[in-house]
Amino acid sequence: MKKPELDSLLKKARMPEIPEESLEMFPRRIVARLQRNDWPVRPARRFSPRRAWAFGLVLCLAAAFAIGHWSGRMETKAIVENDSLASLKLIHETLALFPNRVRAIVQDEHGLNLVLSDAADVPTSTPLYVHISDGQHNTSLVTFSGQEIQVAGQKLTVLSEADGGIILEGNQFVWSSSEPVYAGRKLKIEAKNLGTAAM
Amino acid sequence: MAGLDDESQLIAQSRSGDAEAYAVLVQQYQKMIRAVTFRMTGSPDDAEELAQDAFLRAYQQLDTFCGSSKFSTWLCRIAINLSLDWRRRESRRDAIHSQWAAETLTANDPGGGFPDELSRRVQMALNRLPAKQRAAIVLTVYENQSHAEAAKTLGCTEATISWRVFAARRKLKNLLKDLPHEEA
Repeated sequence: MKKPELDSLLKKARMPEIPEESLEMFPRRIVARLQRNDWPVRPARRFSPRRAWAFGLVLCLAAAFAIGHWSGRMETKAIVENDSLASLKLIHETLALFPNRVRAIVQDEHGLNLVLSDAADVPTSTPLYVHISDGQHNTSLVTFSGQEIQVAGQKLTVLSEADGGIILEGNQFVWSSSEPVYAGRKLKIEAKNLGTAAM
Repeated sequence: MAGLDDESQLIAQSRSGDAEAYAVLVQQYQKMIRAVTFRMTGSPDDAEELAQDAFLRAYQQLDTFCGSSKFSTWLCRIAINLSLDWRRRESRRDAIHSQWAAETLTANDPGGGFPDELSRRVQMALNRLPAKQRAAIVLTVYENQSHAEAAKTLGCTEATISWRVFAARRKLKNLLKDLPHEEA
């Protein structure tokens, strides 16, 4: 079935007929409710443990980022070890909150962003940590092999190799953790496989 | 249907608290809004309730209507977003509700009030889409909105709408493949 055929089929479908009386009464009902001040009330948001977890997690990560950002000790080597994104507990909690939907957790100067897929279609695999610095801007992210992420103004595909190595494929460069020589702009890249413990 | 000048006049009168003027606008757009809420819920009763809420919400928010889009598009945006909120609230009891609705429809009226089998099958197929994909189909197919307009209505990007429409069409083709259709 082609697109025009499907559209034609969808448009052919009619609704159950609305009784004439209902059509006549409908505006009267609206006016009556207006005069009674019977407004639709937004349902009060109930406590949601999932929302509370997500909020708490974002708060923790934002606090950790703020502390890290102002401490002035952002040496690249230390970043990987101290970065909140490299915390297995936080990653584990995020993945548990959104099973198979997390494409990446990105932390940059704008804060923390969770990149989620609309559907639960992100294959389960070991999380990969990537840190990119161009001397002025630092971006850290945790993602999975095969994901295409927008970082520092360019699309970046992160791939993991069979031996645990990581390959980054950008618009203008390819970088490999087994041969971490940088091509292109003065970017400093670090990447590591966080292993199955983070899942 | 009233002309644009008449419509602007009715909107202005409604803003100043004239409920009767608003009733005229409701009369004009009720079929469209009830169609949108029906396509979103699949239930005439829920559709009517949501349509009422949409018109009341619109009346509350008339001051925010600045005329940058058509009044019908603005109303449609309110109705579709209320329908999506309704879906979220209902999702927890969806399974029970769907089963109950199916049983009730079968017991009372095998056709569920639909004028023909094709209409019933299409609505059943729409009901099986995720709510956001259904909203994308309702807006682009039934309300003839462009992807850009639908994106504005649903507060997402055009790319997201394109993806939702694509995914929805794929599912619908599969669900409706046995229905007779005209070859293009």
